[in-house]
Amino acid sequence: MDMKKHIKAAALASASALAAALLLAGCGKTVSPGDKAGYDEGEEYLSIWVHIIEDTPEGRSYRKSVDSFNEKYDGKYFADIEFIPRNDSGGGYSDKVNASVLSGDLPDVLTVDGPNIAAYAANGIIQPLAELTKEERSVYLESIIEQGTFNEKLYALGAMESSVGLYYNKAILREAGVEVPQAGDPWMFTEFLDVLEKVRPAAESKNGYPLDMTFPVGEATIYYYAPFIWSNGGDLVSGDGLTVSGIFNSERNAGTMNYFRGLVDKKYMSAVPIENLFESGRAAFKFDGAWEVNTIYTSYPDIELGVAPYVVGDNWDGGRYTPTGSWAYAASSVTENIEGATELVKWMSGVESGLDLYGQTKSLPSTYAAYEQISDFTEDENYKALYEQLRDYGHPRPKTPAYPQLSASFQQALENIAISGMDADTELKKSTERINDKLDRYTRE
Amino acid sequence: MSKNKSNSILGMAFFGPALVLLTVFLFIPMVLTVIYSFTDYFALSPKNTHFVGFRNFVKIFGDELFVQSFLNTVKFVVIIVPLQCLGALGLALLINKVTYCKKYFKVAFFVPVVMSLAVVSTLWMQIYSPEGIINTILANLGIEAQPFIHSADQALPSIAVMSVWQGMGYQMIIFLGGLQAINPALYEAAEMDHASAWQKFRDITLPELKPLCVFVFITVTIGAFRMIVQPMVMTGGGPSNSTYTIVYDIYETGTVNWEIGLASAMAVVFVIFVIVLTVIQNILTKDKEEKK
Repeated sequence: MDMKKHIKAAALASASALAAALLLAGCGKTVSPGDKAGYDEGEEYLSIWVHIIEDTPEGRSYRKSVDSFNEKYDGKYFADIEFIPRNDSGGGYSDKVNASVLSGDLPDVLTVDGPNIAAYAANGIIQPLAELTKEERSVYLESIIEQGTFNEKLYALGAMESSVGLYYNKAILREAGVEVPQAGDPWMFTEFLDVLEKVRPAAESKNGYPLDMTFPVGEATIYYYAPFIWSNGGDLVSGDGLTVSGIFNSERNAGTMNYFRGLVDKKYMSAVPIENLFESGRAAFKFDGAWEVNTIYTSYPDIELGVAPYVVGDNWDGGRYTPTGSWAYAASSVTENIEGATELVKWMSGVESGLDLYGQTKSLPSTYAAYEQISDFTEDENYKALYEQLRDYGHPRPKTPAYPQLSASFQQALENIAISGMDADTELKKSTERINDKLDRYTRE
Repeated sequence: MSKNKSNSILGMAFFGPALVLLTVFLFIPMVLTVIYSFTDYFALSPKNTHFVGFRNFVKIFGDELFVQSFLNTVKFVVIIVPLQCLGALGLALLINKVTYCKKYFKVAFFVPVVMSLAVVSTLWMQIYSPEGIINTILANLGIEAQPFIHSADQALPSIAVMSVWQGMGYQMIIFLGGLQAINPALYEAAEMDHASAWQKFRDITLPELKPLCVFVFITVTIGAFRMIVQPMVMTGGGPSNSTYTIVYDIYETGTVNWEIGLASAMAVVFVIFVIVLTVIQNILTKDKEEKK
């Protein structure tokens, strides 16, 4: 009796020991032909990581692109895709990448968020792609090439782009008698203040504000509002991405920050975020991602939506300034097959992949040909305006290895100056020191 | 003798797997954190790690943001601990008295504990929003709309109140268990002596609950120090860093800015602080017991 009990207990214990061992088992693996369906003798093996689970529209689209790559390059390459979920706060995928940098287990190709390309390149996690011909480069929007370039070398190409529109409520503007300018002739800062003053009575009669605008913590703030800096003749970081002194905290930038403060002080926007102000028809203008068009069309059909050219500084020189950027593919520094990896990057970011992704997720494509084949961008005036703005004026976010700090500092400075009314020069100086501190490790060697 | 031995082997067999897992996922990382805190470990280029002595610690204490997040965390603790401990005790006393729908009240007050913090935080963002339920009620009372989590002055107390509401149910159940374990004969004896309700509470209930109070006090304090999810979801640490906490700063430094070495040093400082505080709490509460 007692013996039996012991055996049972021992069996239980060993089962739990086995479970623990399984949990701890790592995954040191080398793949040889035949291990994976479709990987045949004579093919070069290419591993690729993407930042999303497979069972999503985006994930399925990636799978489809990899399958078609394997079909096209049958006998030459075999691409093996791994889906690594990324949680909302950005962990998961990037944790795995960081861990693999240490263990040397990086794949041949991996996805990188646009603003992180500089940090990954500066730390030797990714390497420049094999040379693309002029023709191959000309397939992509200029903004995608720009985003993927760091220190004059092309590191990454994306299948997705993004854009932010200055949306307006046609009914409110009609009521206020405001004409929207043509693309290429945007409202300048002072003109825009006049426009806001004109639409104020109409917006306030609806218990709203001229502008539905916030400066939230997170990536949106720099993404939406850095164009105000660029088009006003300022910048955020040096060309090599290694210093912000005198650039982030320039006089011009202080002026731009005070422009935002004026918007809050004159009550053109609410100091506290009010949900769905624009969507409920109580605001004349809103800055938001391209997805807003779809949201308005499907969920708020009563709003007459228009896209105005993104506002510019009074001395705008006509240069590029509007928001862009998304995830892109890059070749890791450990790949010994840069030719193959570059082929895979080109395929994953190509026209077909972009078209399929748009169909699945409505993410803006990255190639001219894709836009020409999607009727939304040729027929719908709002989508068309967003595309043309991206094509003609798209500007990547600041390229610096300390991007996360720069993004956070920009938001904090803007919030402190515009909402809390702190002194612009002091706040920008504080931010500058903070960002330079993070850049220290790149400049001291 | 041999039975003892076989028992001990059996014990190890049960205990072993847990020990292995704890070692790998808890003890080793703890030791590594201490080691990393003396290096400039950077997640994107781990091979360039150097020993830097106390540089990280010096940097932390000169860092305005870390000091602010430290003070914010202390503010959270100072608001949350008394509110949550007294609130839980109050609820437990009330429920103990209630004879109607006792189960209903118990479940109702316990439900927020079971809900995910992220869900509760999202819910309260609606409650606190400029046109949310609280502001609607205030408007009906003729009180001006309050910004709550959107103002640097109100965000921290707003989040603290929400956290108390969310966490209180757990301590309430602990107190309730304690109340029900008190021997009713004590109250009967007190009633014979015509003791008032307050006297019964002061001289019977409180002393009987004392060990539980100490436990609740210390666990609530440690829980409040670990505050991160609520500000992360509701305010992102803003406005103007007014709800940025130590754990949030550790997270941002280590995972967003990739500075594992610096984040490890912050974690070490934080742990030392909490340990010291817990020891002080222990000494203070013990003293009182001995005096009695």
